[in-house]
Amino acid sequence: MRVAYENRFAEIEPLLAKVEKPSRYLNHEWGTRSHADADYRACLIYPDTYEVGLPNQGIAILYAALNQAAGISCERGYIPWVDMADAMRAAHVPLLSLEGAAPVASFDIVGFHIPHEMAVTNFLEGLDLAGIPLMAEDRGEDDPIVVAGGPSVYNPEPYAAFFDALLIGEGEESIVEVCERHRELRDAGASRAEILRGLAEVPGTYVPSLYEVSHEEPCTRWGYTVPKPGSGAPEVIYKRVATNFGETDPLSQSIVPYTELVHDRLSVEVLRGCARGCRFCQAGITYRPVRERSADQVVSSVVQGLARTGYDEVSLTSLSTTDHSACKEILSRLNRRLEGTGISVSVPSQRLDAFGVEMALAVAGEKKGGLTFAPEAGSQRLRDIINKNVTEEDLERAVRAGFEAGWHRVKLYFMMGLPGETDEDIVAIAELADRVLEIGREVLPKGQRGGLSVSVSVAVFIPKAWTPFQWCAQLDDDEVRRRQQLLIHSVRNKQVRVHYHDAATSLIEAVLSRGGRDLAPVILGAWQRGQRFDAWTEHFDLARWEEAARACGIDLREVAHETFPLEARLPWEHTSPGVSRGFLEREWRRSLEGKTTADCTRESCTGCGVCSTLDAQNELMGVRV
Amino acid sequence: MPIEPTLFRLRVRYVKQGRLRYLGHLEVARTVERSVRRAGLPYAVTQGFSPHMRVAFTAALPVGTSSICEWYDLVLTEYVPADEALAGLVAATPADLAPRQAGYVDMRAETLGLLVTRQDYRIDLSLTGVRSAAELLPAARAALDGLIAEGTIRYLRGHKEKTLDLAALLTEAKLEARADDAGFVLELKTRSSNAGSLRPEILLSAWDARFGAGDSDEPIVSTGIPHLANFERAEVERIDQYGEDESGNRVDPL
Repeated sequence: MRVAYENRFAEIEPLLAKVEKPSRYLNHEWGTRSHADADYRACLIYPDTYEVGLPNQGIAILYAALNQAAGISCERGYIPWVDMADAMRAAHVPLLSLEGAAPVASFDIVGFHIPHEMAVTNFLEGLDLAGIPLMAEDRGEDDPIVVAGGPSVYNPEPYAAFFDALLIGEGEESIVEVCERHRELRDAGASRAEILRGLAEVPGTYVPSLYEVSHEEPCTRWGYTVPKPGSGAPEVIYKRVATNFGETDPLSQSIVPYTELVHDRLSVEVLRGCARGCRFCQAGITYRPVRERSADQVVSSVVQGLARTGYDEVSLTSLSTTDHSACKEILSRLNRRLEGTGISVSVPSQRLDAFGVEMALAVAGEKKGGLTFAPEAGSQRLRDIINKNVTEEDLERAVRAGFEAGWHRVKLYFMMGLPGETDEDIVAIAELADRVLEIGREVLPKGQRGGLSVSVSVAVFIPKAWTPFQWCAQLDDDEVRRRQQLLIHSVRNKQVRVHYHDAATSLIEAVLSRGGRDLAPVILGAWQRGQRFDAWTEHFDLARWEEAARACGIDLREVAHETFPLEARLPWEHTSPGVSRGFLEREWRRSLEGKTTADCTRESCTGCGVCSTLDAQNELMGVRV
Repeated sequence: MPIEPTLFRLRVRYVKQGRLRYLGHLEVARTVERSVRRAGLPYAVTQGFSPHMRVAFTAALPVGTSSICEWYDLVLTEYVPADEALAGLVAATPADLAPRQAGYVDMRAETLGLLVTRQDYRIDLSLTGVRSAAELLPAARAALDGLIAEGTIRYLRGHKEKTLDLAALLTEAKLEARADDAGFVLELKTRSSNAGSLRPEILLSAWDARFGAGDSDEPIVSTGIPHLANFERAEVERIDQYGEDESGNRVDPL
């Protein structure tokens, strides 16, 4: 018998007095959309705390889509913070959904979001709290179907063992199709195995149990994944692309929380995709093609969304909002509409040119926090290698314009460990930061120079699946630490502050980004040793991961630091964002030659293959500047 | 000089109940502001660098305490009939924080913070184990009277030792056995000022330690929702808030 769907809030209520932030567990927020009387129930879980997960736009989109579908009710779940999780285990209370406070195990389908690789131990934490077997193969007829999807689904192999199905690509249509198919098979009395075979027929759905790992052809140590003979499953599962994105409802978000969130505001997705073609960037490939919403649609949905939610801030989200061909028009129209309301507009990050600063100025008003730019590499040579089509002059012009407009604080994002990087490139980061500071001193009047600050934030490059750098090794973590020190010692000015990412966390991220199915026992072992909330610095513990890997005979550094041969079949090539292998190889060769490649939304097609493979195309609202 | 526009001060009473009693004060404030925007009321914003809604609340209610008498003052730039404003707010607010009453006060009237100096509480207490409240009542009353006679309660807030001045802050305490004999009802009338206010949880903890299953010398720690020895559940509800004039007569916020 499946666990009963019933409200069990009374069981967690006595625990609320003992935990920090009880409002994480209250539900009853404004704007929930589930309907208790539906006969098919889905629970979408974000693998982190409530305040990190609630603003997630992917979940908001799927939540709206499912609750609009006839006869389907969708609720949400989050991972209880460690204090609550321990209290729930001690009190024998299972993981509950939010809206109905019902056991997650009582739902027909449970969907996990995959925001990044470091969420992996929290999938297991969530499943365990819910009382659902951790491994898909151990689940029985009464257990829910457990699916997953999200930005980091493009190397699904490390987590394949935990999920019954993975949804590749944009989920707003496919999740509904998966649920409808499941309901149909459930109502027809199909067995779990039959249901899974049925789900594999829904385009974009990867059912790992129908596949096996082969080592026959040239491949990496992880092998490559092929359909089991006779399974009927497709050889390659292509990602889903939403039909007519520009005509879909931009207002997916409906829930207004009580708790203060990481991003506590209305979000409107103004465009999808980015074709600038940075060679390290996975999202730049996996969200193609580029599709813009019209200015009218954006403006009216912002106005409507603010009225509906009562937020006092709206963020125009996308991978590169200032690339929208009507960006200027949208911002000036919104500024006019929102004047005198105290409501502010924000744009996620600034494009590295004078236009970017102009747009930042358009939303900043009186309040000028910091300007954020991402040159990614310190030298022009390395920026060409990674195809960051930005010159030193672009940066100088942008920064100068920023200081002239009244900003005092500039934040610069870089990466370390990029292919072809030398010590000179590291020193160039310091020189660039010093140069930015000098420009500030030049532009700002004497009295204001005290507030001047330049901060440099350096992430560790992680080779990601489906990028031109997917064959590359990650830089050894000791070498990362040496280069971090080199950078710190190369900065001349005290007003330049340097922050860098933890090399150990990046090591695990690289392992999970590049490995195959054989990593499942390592992940399980890390969780069994106490790992959860790995994305939180205070909970990440490399030693436990190392121990878990050793127990499986795997050397984590060897995995992260291995270069894959170009001719090898890679562990993730059966789940594809539509880009052609030829394009990625060509981009890799061009990077070695320091040749850049243009942006197809500004110049002609670069032949990445996404449009033809997925039968989709760029949809722009005008000429991009 | 810019002309000061005509402004209106709408005073609203709302409840905090059900599971939303676990919200913190800032969470309540944020929710109220959002409901004002959702209701489409013509709210005024502050001038300056970071403009925000002109709304002011009565003193924070502790997490876990419910209330039928919380108040806020909202400044509007246009007059909206009070019943219309109330209806709009009710439709735009979660039911457990529902506004119940609204009316205008003069822009120059005393602020809620200055006006409201009296808070009454009703505390419903369920005894642990199978014990008769009627039998325990004399001991419980004696413990309460003893505590009140001492006049102060010392407690820890974080690492700081503080003193609650019962003599100044508590004006009346009435303890009765509940009709089902499984618990008590404690009614408190309190007074607040700039110098402080009475958190019923602290009084409860101190009293609880003095009788029955309590009997502990541990210092009272103020950490929000207390764990009590004698009681399985303590439901604290603020049942009235008002002010007093010079001669001690009751003044209602509206």
